[in-house]
Amino acid sequence: MTAFALAWRTARRYRARAVLAVAGVAVIGALNFDMLLLSRGLMLSFADLVNSTGYDIRISGGSGGPLSRQPIDNATPTMKEIGALPEIAAVAFMRTATAAAIRPTRPPEGLELIGSSDPAGLGIWKQVAGSTLDGAGGDVSLPPAVISRPMAERLNLTIGSTLGVRVRLAGELSAMPAVSLRVTGVADFPFESQNAFVVATTMEGFARAHGGVLNDQAEFMFARSRPSAGPDAAAAAIAKLRPDLRAFSNEQLVANFAKNAFAYFRQISVVLSTTTAAFSFLLVATLLTVSVNQRLGEVAALRALGIARRKIAATLLWESALLVGLGGLFALPLGQLLAMVLDRILRRMPGLPAGLHFFVFEPQSLVLHAAVLAATAVVAAIYPMWLAVKLPIAQTLRQETVS
Amino acid sequence: MRVLALIAVVAATLGAAPAGPPDILVSRQLLARAHLAIGDVVTLAGDSSGARARRFRVAGVYEPTPDPMKFNVERIEARLHLDDLLSLASDGTDPAWADAISVINVNLKNSSDPASATAFSRSLSARTPFIFAAPTRDQASTTFLVIDRFHTAIAVVTVIGSTAFLLALMVIRAEERKETVGVLRLIGISSRTIMTEVIVEGLLVAIAGAVVGVLIAAGAQHFVNLIFQARYDTTLVFMRVSRTIAMRSIVVAVPVGVVAGAVASWTLLRRGTSALVRR
Repeated sequence: MTAFALAWRTARRYRARAVLAVAGVAVIGALNFDMLLLSRGLMLSFADLVNSTGYDIRISGGSGGPLSRQPIDNATPTMKEIGALPEIAAVAFMRTATAAAIRPTRPPEGLELIGSSDPAGLGIWKQVAGSTLDGAGGDVSLPPAVISRPMAERLNLTIGSTLGVRVRLAGELSAMPAVSLRVTGVADFPFESQNAFVVATTMEGFARAHGGVLNDQAEFMFARSRPSAGPDAAAAAIAKLRPDLRAFSNEQLVANFAKNAFAYFRQISVVLSTTTAAFSFLLVATLLTVSVNQRLGEVAALRALGIARRKIAATLLWESALLVGLGGLFALPLGQLLAMVLDRILRRMPGLPAGLHFFVFEPQSLVLHAAVLAATAVVAAIYPMWLAVKLPIAQTLRQETVS
Repeated sequence: MRVLALIAVVAATLGAAPAGPPDILVSRQLLARAHLAIGDVVTLAGDSSGARARRFRVAGVYEPTPDPMKFNVERIEARLHLDDLLSLASDGTDPAWADAISVINVNLKNSSDPASATAFSRSLSARTPFIFAAPTRDQASTTFLVIDRFHTAIAVVTVIGSTAFLLALMVIRAEERKETVGVLRLIGISSRTIMTEVIVEGLLVAIAGAVVGVLIAAGAQHFVNLIFQARYDTTLVFMRVSRTIAMRSIVVAVPVGVVAGAVASWTLLRRGTSALVRR
């Protein structure tokens, strides 16, 4: 009989304890797996988010950080200047303002108004219904608007509806009159928080909402590099052309995000994955040790029958591998389920972009999870194996017989 | 260029300014980073190009108030008199600038009542349409409420794992004492007494585990705080084992112990006495 078969029989014989050990490893393994997903989840999710825009360079004001919204002055000539670079395929910019949806006999509802120079929206929204800002529908004399899904659902707005929007001016002792926009599309805005009311319109519509008077600034400017140049070379070309601006490729932006943002979750994932690995080790090592202590007579008898020490040790190693391996396998679906629950909890954080997730699967996490469990199985089996191979056969058998 | 946070304070807090450059306070982090000393004269500018630069004297150093929302932000800050900040930041194009402020912090008399802050902010917003007022307590607490729920969920999962662990141990212990229990049953000890004994044992193991866990956490909190405070250069307390948390851990251990003990005793007592004594 092989060592594996012997280990399998032992596990089947002591079924209750084996099932409980597998359950314990599965639960703790699920937590460990989740912490591995958390350690890089935000960064991967953020990378997905920025890469989904269709633009691979982000340009901000010179004194601002890559994630802050520093306005760029003289946005229109700047956009043309950058667009003329041979490394650049396209440039677009957008502006944002705090506004309110105005409805008759209803209190105003706060919203974020976005003005986009790109009718397709620079990739900051994903169309759900209707069309982009190019679309027809409703009163064509009104500026078009693409609105967020939660807003459409809560305010019962459909394609062709007319929406009143009043801009709130920060730091100004004046109030703007409301303007009407026609809804041409409904979309998900992954960069905005989950239930946010968002209205995107053209730059003309944005200017009209500001009474037709608007300084030529941009909060965000995006550029798309030509495939022949690549984003890094294009960003360098922009930096050379306009040293007063900052240009970041998506890769640089993600690296910066990984370095500065949500450090807390990376650290807690490291602490918890280490703790859970230690907990799994303790669980399996204790169970195996207690189990070997309980079966000392059995082990001594096997050795007395001529079964080699190596085989006894291999049996215990297989026993450990079975408990940890089965637990680790069950940990995967359990971890996925738990990750969904934990992600739902964390995504309730105020102001978090709807498209950002904390727990993101990648093959690397699975490999690391398997490696941690394999190491746990081996380390947990060391002491019980040592107990079994160092056992004095005659003395143990005598003690077992007497007891 | 590194952004320096400038915080204006009312003039009275720094006392009367002597002749020469006006006084400023710098954060401990800025003092160390810029190799400054009390009495040094420094130049601050209103923008990154160095325009509208003015000279100030470092009158003192302060420890920034720990802020959980800014724990990973380097606190490179200086505090100026309000009029000094206004003149430093103004480009001279807006005559109203000298009389403008960004934020007013209001401390309500009954600040312990969250409803009063909401009522005050609503009332102020209604009376002054160009001022936006919001309770600060709600903004900060929502984030920490979410983090608290996240930690609670992790704690629940850990407790489930611990329960399986304890159950497995108790089952092994029960199997070990199968014959002893059989003999006890034969001499007339009731099933209920044996069951109670196993449950009490499970309970004691669980409570002892919780107490040891609390002691380990209490010992670890000092090192955790030391590591994170050094990592982020802050005085913020990252981990605190409060009496409530310790009590909660012990209270959670009670049902875990009872369940483990009950299941372990059930595995013993579901068998007949003769099976227990192998007859």
